[in-house]
Amino acid sequence: MSSGALSGIKVVDFGQMVSAPFCAKLFGDYGAEVIKVELPAGDSARNTGPFPEDVPHQEKSGLFFVNNTNKRGVTCDVRTEAGRALFNRLLEWADVLIENNLPRQMQEWGLDYDSMASVNENLVVISITPFGQTGPYSGWNAYDLNAYHLSGASSRYCGRPGEMPLEHGTFAADYFGAVSAAAWGLAAVYGRGMVGGGQLVDVSCAEAIAAAFVGGQNIGGYAQDGRFDKRTGVGMPLGAPATIMPCKDGHVWMLALEVGQWQGLKEVMGNPEWADMELFDDMLARAQNADIIYPFIEEWTMQHGKMEIMEKCQAAGCPITAVFTVAEAAEQPHLAARDYFVDIDHPELGSIKNLGAPFKLPASPGGPTTAAPLLGQHNAEVYGEILGLSAAQLAQLESDGTI
Amino acid sequence: MTKALPLEGIRVVNFGWVWAGPVTGQTLSYMGAEVFKVESQARIDMTRNLPPYAEGEPGFNRSLSNHACWAGNGSISLNLKEPEGRKLALELISTADVVVENFGPGVMENMGFGYEELCKVKEDIILCSMPGAGLYGPFKNVRTYGLSLTSTTGLDSLVGYKNGGPIPVENAYSDPFVGIFSAFAILTALNHRDNSGVGQHVDFSQQEAIMQMIGPDYMDYVLNGRVGGPKGNEHPVAAAAPHAVFPCAGDDRWISIAVPSEQEWLQLKAAMDNPEWAEADAFSSLESRLENIDELHAALAQWTAAFDDFELTEKLQAQGVAAAPVLNVADLLENPHYKARETFVEVTHPLGFKETIYGAYVKTSKTQANVKPGPWVGQDNERVFKGILGMDDVRYQQLVGDEVIY
Repeated sequence: MSSGALSGIKVVDFGQMVSAPFCAKLFGDYGAEVIKVELPAGDSARNTGPFPEDVPHQEKSGLFFVNNTNKRGVTCDVRTEAGRALFNRLLEWADVLIENNLPRQMQEWGLDYDSMASVNENLVVISITPFGQTGPYSGWNAYDLNAYHLSGASSRYCGRPGEMPLEHGTFAADYFGAVSAAAWGLAAVYGRGMVGGGQLVDVSCAEAIAAAFVGGQNIGGYAQDGRFDKRTGVGMPLGAPATIMPCKDGHVWMLALEVGQWQGLKEVMGNPEWADMELFDDMLARAQNADIIYPFIEEWTMQHGKMEIMEKCQAAGCPITAVFTVAEAAEQPHLAARDYFVDIDHPELGSIKNLGAPFKLPASPGGPTTAAPLLGQHNAEVYGEILGLSAAQLAQLESDGTI
Repeated sequence: MTKALPLEGIRVVNFGWVWAGPVTGQTLSYMGAEVFKVESQARIDMTRNLPPYAEGEPGFNRSLSNHACWAGNGSISLNLKEPEGRKLALELISTADVVVENFGPGVMENMGFGYEELCKVKEDIILCSMPGAGLYGPFKNVRTYGLSLTSTTGLDSLVGYKNGGPIPVENAYSDPFVGIFSAFAILTALNHRDNSGVGQHVDFSQQEAIMQMIGPDYMDYVLNGRVGGPKGNEHPVAAAAPHAVFPCAGDDRWISIAVPSEQEWLQLKAAMDNPEWAEADAFSSLESRLENIDELHAALAQWTAAFDDFELTEKLQAQGVAAAPVLNVADLLENPHYKARETFVEVTHPLGFKETIYGAYVKTSKTQANVKPGPWVGQDNERVFKGILGMDDVRYQQLVGDEVIY
């Protein structure tokens, strides 16, 4: 058993792409024993890049690599009777199943929650889907993009008025759903004694964001007063400066709202005369005159680099930061000093950097240590050691294509 | 639904303020923990003064957004500038399992609530600290707001219109994200405590938690040295086309459509009655559609523009195409899917007014969260000081009079 915080918890990951695999990875990174079960064709993330030099290869997907550390991998064709029987044996062994297939797909495989609960009543089933297991949209086909835009987040907070609302350029809904699933799912596991067995943890990525991000700040006001806001394309419409602004070599998050912050920024800019105009007295006045003040500030930022602006403004007490590119984020000394990046040996990719533990547990350290599994890499080990299948039985399952 | 909630018996003392820390408390509370925010009228949290207010009447106990974001937390009011106030907080911590805070590094120590101090009153306490950039490292004292912290993770560099500069996400996506994420961190530490008997000081860097979201682009940098920019609504790792938001009939109405597979492309074409443009070589495979994605999206946008967003969604879903309307805030409250899932609920605040908050944002089949709106300042004072700490009424009244319990 591992010495990790979740040592002793057994997880089956039956997910593809991002949400369920990332959720299961969080369990694995903190010491749970995770077995990833793939259909014989493999998790579709394996066919999705980024690949080295953009050459597709099932064992070289960066997306698969990053979200499947600390797991052993097996194949199982749940579409056949033999495969389903094998899968049920894994469910008997497991404490948790994590999956993100559409509800109708799980039904079709005979793996709806009630069927799985009848195999193991202590099993916690964590289902992460765009719209959830119930409600009129639960039967819809959907992906991260559809979930994100159903949450209200883009209409309210991202994009310019009149132009299309925007997702975040990553799997923002999948990640939000995965983290919600990890918290609620682990609570369900932790509290099984209290609750009296396992249960279904039904996560809709769209709902989690609609509630905890958009709803929290907006729904009470709309329900009471019938008024609501939309995206403005600016960081903060009621305070200025509060926006992303170009500079000499990229962009900075320009924020100076409170009196001390604005004074600090003025000093860093060399106390220009325009900054003392009455129009710019407080953050609201500055926001009302954003058309005037933003070009003034931009004239200054365009003459300076983002790191210089960040350093000087931070020293002057302003919460101004450089907008790091992914490379700059990956190379920051701070994260290196915190050992945030780890090297992982992968049989096909070689030694590769990976994002490390998302949080630090000094008494029971976590984080990725072993590489994402090759397709079916641990078939013999898992089915042999855990389920006690003989070599002959394994050979049979292999020859009939179950694994 | 009569079963006990999974975290019943776990007590949390929450110094978390503004948004992220209170969401940590909320998440643990919805799963059954007993959570008390420690706050004070001596320093009212800024989110308590955010309009709109219940019934339009201003007051720090009436902010509607505060009550939604803090729902589930209880509240005790202690003036921590007073030694007696700090002593009472420690007394409560001695009965607790978990302490949460999202100040900058060192602030808890300065108040006398450093991890070592907490261990003196509760040996196996779990302290979850969630500063912006972690408890140590050269950047640990960075000043950011929740909505700009994402700039230090690379995430902001990916948000915006294609070929343009980054566009700000206009609120802190990171706050509820790390609030929920830190609840998972606390649960791992609780599990470790049950396994080993020891507590610990969790170093939860918001920056590092958020940066997990850029995994796909980080890998492209690691594998290919490539640095991506804003993507519009295109697929994060270019594995679907079309993949965007398209205009529909009406003011600011849009539909999202995502087509990763060949089969779904055929279904989309069928839904469009196989128009001639869609048969062009330029769109004949995913690879060519990705290569000609601007042209593809422009052609599709011409088709979608005449439809009602909900009707077009039904039409596309009937063919198996992943499509959904883009909802605004008003739509959320009226939407049949969210209504069916009771995503938003009207509740009566202990102060008497009705307000709408969000309920359990994850559904559990055996247990049902006890959803209660965010507290008024000091709502649980009597329960905590008299009930849990056994204080007599004379002393309680004296401390209230002295503005220690305040």
